[in-house]
Amino acid sequence: MCRVHATVRGLIGEIVAGSEDVTVVDMEAGLEHLSRGTVRHVDTVLAVLEPYYRSLETGARVVELARELGIARVLVVVNKVRDEADRQAMDEFCRGRGLPLAAVVPHDPSVLDADRGGGSLLDHAPEAPSVQAIRQLAERLASGAFDPAPAG
Amino acid sequence: MKIAVAGKGGSGKTTLAATLARLLARGHHSVLAVDGDSNPNLGVSLGLAAAEAGSWPTLPKELLAERTGPDGTRSSGLSISVADVVARFGVVGPDGVRLLVMGRVAHAGAG
Repeated sequence: MCRVHATVRGLIGEIVAGSEDVTVVDMEAGLEHLSRGTVRHVDTVLAVLEPYYRSLETGARVVELARELGIARVLVVVNKVRDEADRQAMDEFCRGRGLPLAAVVPHDPSVLDADRGGGSLLDHAPEAPSVQAIRQLAERLASGAFDPAPAG
Repeated sequence: MKIAVAGKGGSGKTTLAATLARLLARGHHSVLAVDGDSNPNLGVSLGLAAAEAGSWPTLPKELLAERTGPDGTRSSGLSISVADVVARFGVVGPDGVRLLVMGRVAHAGAG
C-alpha cells in the first residue's frame, strides 16, 4: 500500500472516530478501498450500485467485506433505476443474495443537469425524484429504521 | 451515526453522499462531510463554489502522529483534536455542513 494512501486512510479513521458529529465519508471509488483502517469506526456502510449485473455482483462483495469488518449496518442503495422492471429485478437480486436494500433512487436527468452546472442536486432540483428518494433514506437512517434488531 | 458511502466511479456515490449530508443537516444534525476520494468532488456536489476549491485548506500529513506506547507498541493518532482539525481545515458549506477534503493530503505529500 502506498504511504500517502495509508496516511489518508489513517486520518479518515481517526477523524471519524473522534468526531461528535454525524459523519458522512465519500470513500475512494472502488471496492479495494473498503479497508479496516478507514471504516473501522464507521457504523453504517452504504454501497451505491447501479442496476446491472456486474455492479450488483460488486455490491454483493462490498456487503460481504463490510460485514466481515464488523460494521453494524451494511446497506445497499441502487441508483439510476429506470422503471418498474428494473426495480423488481433489484428487489429480487437483493432478496436472493440476502442484501439489505435500503433505497432505490430513480434515474433522474436532474442529476446530470446539476453536474453539468457544477453545483448541488439539492439546490438545482430540490423536489426531483432522486432527491425525494434520498430524503426518505435520510429520514429512515435518522429514525433508526435500519438499526440492528436487539438480540433476544 | 457514522456513514461511509462506497461505490464505483460513476455510480453516483458522491451526489448521494452530498445530498444525504445536507438533508441530515436540515434534520437538525450537526454534519461533518469527509471527502476521501482522491478525485475530490464532494465540495462542489454540496454546493460550494468550484472556483474556490483551490483555496480550501490542505490537511498536513503531520496531523497523524506516530506514538510509541510504554510497552513498545506503535500506534498512530491525531496530533490535535478532531474539533481543532475541523476548525482549522474545514470549509463550511450550505445547510452548515462542514467539509474536510482528505484527497488533498495526497497532493501535499506526493511532491
